[in-house]
Amino acid sequence: MFDLIVIGAGPGGYEAAAHAGGLGKSVALVEKAELGGTCLNVGCIPAKTFLRSSRLFRECREAAAFGIILDAPSFDMPSLLVRKDNVVGTLKRGVSSLLRSTGVEVLNGTGRLVGRNAVEVAGERYEAANILIASGSRPATPPIPGIDGERVLDSTSAFELKEVPERIAIVGGGYIGLEFASFFHEIGAQVTVYEALTRIASGCDGDIGDELLKILRRGGIEFHLSCSVLGIEGSTLHYQDAGSAPASDSATYILNATGRAPIVSDLGLEEVGVDASPRGIRVDDQGRTNVPNIWACGDVTGRHMLAHVAVREGIVAVNSMFGRPDRMRYDAIPAVIYSHPEVSMVGKTEEELQAAGIEYRKGVVPMALAGRFLVEHVRETGIVKVLAGAAHGEILGVHAIGDLSSEFIVAAGAMIEAEMTLAQASEVIFPHPTVAEALHAAILKAQRPVA
Amino acid sequence: MATPVEMPKLGNTVEHCLLVAWRKRKGDVVSTGEVLAEMETDKATFDLTAPKGGTVLELFFDDGAMVPVFTNVCVIGEVGESFEEYRPKVPVRPVTAGTPVSAIAGSAQPVAGQVAVAPASDGGPNLARSRASNGAQPAAQPVVPAESIVAPVGRMSPRARRLAAERGLDSATLTGSGPGGRILERDVRAELGSTVPVSRTARYLLESGYEIRGAGSGLGGMVRASDLVPPPLRFTGMRERIARRMGESLASTAQYTLHASADATNLLALRRDIKASPPGTPDITINDLVAFCVIRAVLEVPAVNAEFIEGRLYQRAHVNLGFACDTPRGLVVPVVHHAEELSVAELSGRMSALATRALEGTLGADDMVDATFTVSNLGGLGVESFTPVINPPQVAILGVDAITLRPVRMPDGGVEFVDVIGLSATFDHQVIDGAPGARFLNVVKQKIASVRSLCSI
Repeated sequence: MFDLIVIGAGPGGYEAAAHAGGLGKSVALVEKAELGGTCLNVGCIPAKTFLRSSRLFRECREAAAFGIILDAPSFDMPSLLVRKDNVVGTLKRGVSSLLRSTGVEVLNGTGRLVGRNAVEVAGERYEAANILIASGSRPATPPIPGIDGERVLDSTSAFELKEVPERIAIVGGGYIGLEFASFFHEIGAQVTVYEALTRIASGCDGDIGDELLKILRRGGIEFHLSCSVLGIEGSTLHYQDAGSAPASDSATYILNATGRAPIVSDLGLEEVGVDASPRGIRVDDQGRTNVPNIWACGDVTGRHMLAHVAVREGIVAVNSMFGRPDRMRYDAIPAVIYSHPEVSMVGKTEEELQAAGIEYRKGVVPMALAGRFLVEHVRETGIVKVLAGAAHGEILGVHAIGDLSSEFIVAAGAMIEAEMTLAQASEVIFPHPTVAEALHAAILKAQRPVA
Repeated sequence: MATPVEMPKLGNTVEHCLLVAWRKRKGDVVSTGEVLAEMETDKATFDLTAPKGGTVLELFFDDGAMVPVFTNVCVIGEVGESFEEYRPKVPVRPVTAGTPVSAIAGSAQPVAGQVAVAPASDGGPNLARSRASNGAQPAAQPVVPAESIVAPVGRMSPRARRLAAERGLDSATLTGSGPGGRILERDVRAELGSTVPVSRTARYLLESGYEIRGAGSGLGGMVRASDLVPPPLRFTGMRERIARRMGESLASTAQYTLHASADATNLLALRRDIKASPPGTPDITINDLVAFCVIRAVLEVPAVNAEFIEGRLYQRAHVNLGFACDTPRGLVVPVVHHAEELSVAELSGRMSALATRALEGTLGADDMVDATFTVSNLGGLGVESFTPVINPPQVAILGVDAITLRPVRMPDGGVEFVDVIGLSATFDHQVIDGAPGARFLNVVKQKIASVRSLCSI
């Protein structure tokens, strides 16, 4: 009998298992594929590895501006795949050693609930006082005829391409689609994004999303907004822009980037009576499901499909199940789109504040205010936007577009977690020269808004 | 010449009024008739208006103060004119057991320093009353609860004092942020908040009256804005009175409710006739007609027209009919005194005038006292039966419900639809048993059914 069995070894699952192990609990971690889950194997890490290469490739083309003369560089996909596998392999060994050092037993196979305190793995029954479901998500398959065609990639198979495609059609302008759009564009493919909504990067602050669209279009990526994809035939995509006649484009590949769906099937949820729907397992702020002793965290709960949220949720669940007071707070969750340029955000968007009727003030500054931003880039632009309560100046949201913003958004997250006011945050010393100084400038700007 | 504005007396029994909120501040220019402040007795709200134009030179009380009637509350005049002579003397708080000594000393001291001169220029009841309440024998003034007299410049506001006492906070440790260092409720809240980590944002909210519920949910148990609840809704004096009286009613009586319905055919026919009558004829409503019938029934069953006070039952000779009015400020029950002496047209006129004033908030306190029997009509809101709550020491109350259609078996065996009006009567079982209660209800039914012969219009 274990103290805890965790189903799924993605970031939510393995961090929770290691945390429980660190507390001295006996823990088993069930994984049917690779340690590290989507994030490590076919998500965040490979994507960032790809984007690092595409950025370097772009920088090689811009090298002359930095005083470096290069012969025409070329992009070699197989070498990138090797590097990706190396990075992933190193991280996986790290996960493995973390689990070993915390005494977590890894069970290989598909985990399935067979009782409130029992999980079946590869025909064996294991019992535990607590079960944490961290089964994650898989690429969603929208009801588009031909979406399962040979020329259709998803965010998993896209990481196995052996050559640079000539043309790529991306269905979905969310964060996955935009990151792939930047990647393929930078390595020389012709990229078109088909988005059903009126704007890309849905959920992102409006000003930032608009700026991103402007920059990406200027760079040469083509966008169809308010566009319905009607069907896919071979390498041809049939679509219809709002108010126009149906049209078709052909591409080397079509990438389905329409989002991710929680994995709630084949887990034995129905048999044990766990409250779940295709949108995820329902849990409270500590991760409890409706069934005592069964908990869930991460993508399978369908709330925020972000690795760092899954990690925190898993730890909150473990603390809660072992009597350590803890809870999730969802108002200071940073999120980053690793497109080029990067978009980083935490807290409320201006649209959310308006919808909630919250009175606010804002400070918006160009990234170029920070000397380091000019040093780092040739012709890039970016903005940082700070939103704060009108009366007391409590920081409610920070939104940035511009490279390196992903590295300083955590500072804004800490400010929101601490409910700092603009006056308090303005006293924080920012190192010079850093791009983060743009955040400081925006805080000062919001403190003294232009009349 | 500067003119003091005093708290008017709004009824024979009114001794204090609540100064709900100032509409003007010191230094504001006002014209004659402009609203200076919102006042409230325990029964009604009213506006205090400027008797003449000028500049508000001084306000003697804070929002929320209980002010004795005929006491100066502010002074209007020309800038630079002296007003100190109008400053009211502050009644000395009677010392009662259990009052923290520090609070009394704290509130009395600065007051004594600032109120050296008694109002002298102006004689009359104002001065007399002031002296009476500020006389040499504070113990002889038990009528006013200690908490309700607010010193205009006390060291600690009553709300602050109450909160500090509730949470066991020593007021000596507090520093005040109010005028002259006066300790306000927000100072107490801030002090309470300082014992646990509180975010700057949450602290702002605490200072504006928000309260902490439960433990902090932020980093390391820090109290965040989301852990706070907004300040409690302000209970007006009227709401407080309704709450207290209704609670007392259910706690001190043995209430039961009987439901019945009366044939409303004649009632509706009579109302139709009234509507069709030439202009100038009084517009007597169904409610008026029912009230008239009820008065007749009460005369016939005098047991329901009584008061039960501390185990003694007093029969009342006259029918003083209270009728519940829904107003924006809450429930108000104006009273038609000696209602049995009125014709239906007179009754209708009186009820309509009282109802109008109830809606306007201009009822005098005397218009709301000494009801011997009450009627509450929720029929207009579609209610088909309810349990009215007795207003003690009354022993009964009649609820009037909606008019509905009911199938009735006719003498020839056939079934016809008849309009009926629902009646829900609550009685105090301490003095009226079930059968007598039912008999009274039957009398009401008969009166309503035969309303045409009862009312000669």
